[in-house]
Amino acid sequence: MIDNIVRVWDKYWILFVQGLGVTLLLSLITVICGCLLGFLITLMRMSKLKIFQFRPLNAIAAVYVEIIRGTPILLQLYFFYFMLPSLLPVLNPSKIVCCTFALCLNSAAYVSEVIRAGIQAVDKGQTEAARSLGLDGKQAMIHVVLPQALKNILPALCNEFIMMIKETSLASTFFVGELMSVYRTISGALYLTIEPLIIVGIIYFIVTFGLSKGVLFMEKRMSVSAA
Amino acid sequence: MSEMNLKPGVHGDDKGAEIIRVENLEKHFGSLQVLKGVNQVIKKGEVVSVIGPSGGGKSTFLRCLNLLETPDGGQIFFEGTDITDKKVDINIHRQKMGMVFQHFNVFPNMTVGENVTMAPVLLKKKTKEEAEKLADELLDRVGLLDKKNAYPQKLSGGQKQRLAIIRALAMEPDVMLFDEPTSALDPEMVGEVLTVIKELVKTGMTTVIVTHEMGFAREVSDRVLFMDGGVIAEEGAPEELFDHPKNARTKEFLGKVLH
Repeated sequence: MIDNIVRVWDKYWILFVQGLGVTLLLSLITVICGCLLGFLITLMRMSKLKIFQFRPLNAIAAVYVEIIRGTPILLQLYFFYFMLPSLLPVLNPSKIVCCTFALCLNSAAYVSEVIRAGIQAVDKGQTEAARSLGLDGKQAMIHVVLPQALKNILPALCNEFIMMIKETSLASTFFVGELMSVYRTISGALYLTIEPLIIVGIIYFIVTFGLSKGVLFMEKRMSVSAA
Repeated sequence: MSEMNLKPGVHGDDKGAEIIRVENLEKHFGSLQVLKGVNQVIKKGEVVSVIGPSGGGKSTFLRCLNLLETPDGGQIFFEGTDITDKKVDINIHRQKMGMVFQHFNVFPNMTVGENVTMAPVLLKKKTKEEAEKLADELLDRVGLLDKKNAYPQKLSGGQKQRLAIIRALAMEPDVMLFDEPTSALDPEMVGEVLTVIKELVKTGMTTVIVTHEMGFAREVSDRVLFMDGGVIAEEGAPEELFDHPKNARTKEFLGKVLH
């Protein structure tokens, strides 16, 4: 079997590397869009806009986050794979656009929770001290709370990126060219199931393990740094 | 001008004028009523200590004065303005009420110097240069000038609290509120913080201080309030209240803490 693995790698390594490239790119785009959208959702959840007793922005954001967290990501991929082309027929979105879209929306929900937790972890006394000096709520948030929250949020966002690298494999259902799709192509062509799977597994593991070690290192550095 | 700025509160002719008036102040936390109608007038230049058992409402009373806690009933007038009025911009008034917290709450994401200059510059009370100059003077006054570019993480508890005091002073407030400023300190650091407060009080700053340091309260106060059960149970000059308490609960409390 080892021989087979080596042979498959020798012959198709370029496909695996390409697949990894697509996986990383897809994850990166997803997490970046997820961060932007997730921040927006956090702002909505913190908004104080009130119509009578009802807080519409909070409600929309909360429902959104609960729906995304309460349904499987694979279902969300299917949903947007079929829905997006009929919703936006003008743009004629490709398969990979539909998948990216679904993954972004999924990531945004989780990122917004990460940001919210990061903000909540900042001691309430910090806000009080800032407000007691005369800063308004927004100023206290921007100058005192967010810079401190960022320290909690950044490592968690990197972990979200690592999670995404693994979750993009679900997009292989629609053959979008990422690592898991490459596996399906190769195993179909060679009638080999285990060998290419092990190769793909090793690639995923090296990347995610390396990145999570990197995050640990970053966390340590940040906790000794003055800020 | 900066000499004057260093001694806010000394305005000569209006010393003794009313600066804070509290009328029938009430506050609930859920079903628990913490303040049950507190009345109090604090005059310019006065030093008022608030003592009493835990849960008596001391801290809540103090935190209501700058609306960190929103009162459920009653009114608070600061320099003639009813700050409990929803239409009043509380941020403007908070700029004139410095507050020092039990747990310091210095900003760990800023250097010592930035802690002091941030609010005056951000709120456009001072240019960057003016704020830096004032910060240097204040830091020097509390012996932290050499730490200006360090981060608060490197400071001891006592140093953090001294920083918190001058951070509030940098806004040149008319009143300083202290919420148990030495309760979270190691015993050997209590003295250095009390010294700074004593020096501040000498400049004529109007001061309200919630404290468990009875000796200190007796030494610096013009007036002492004994709070228990959500009301001011007794008040008076320190000698009078400490040596000849009239209220039974005051007697009991002082009996416990002084012996």
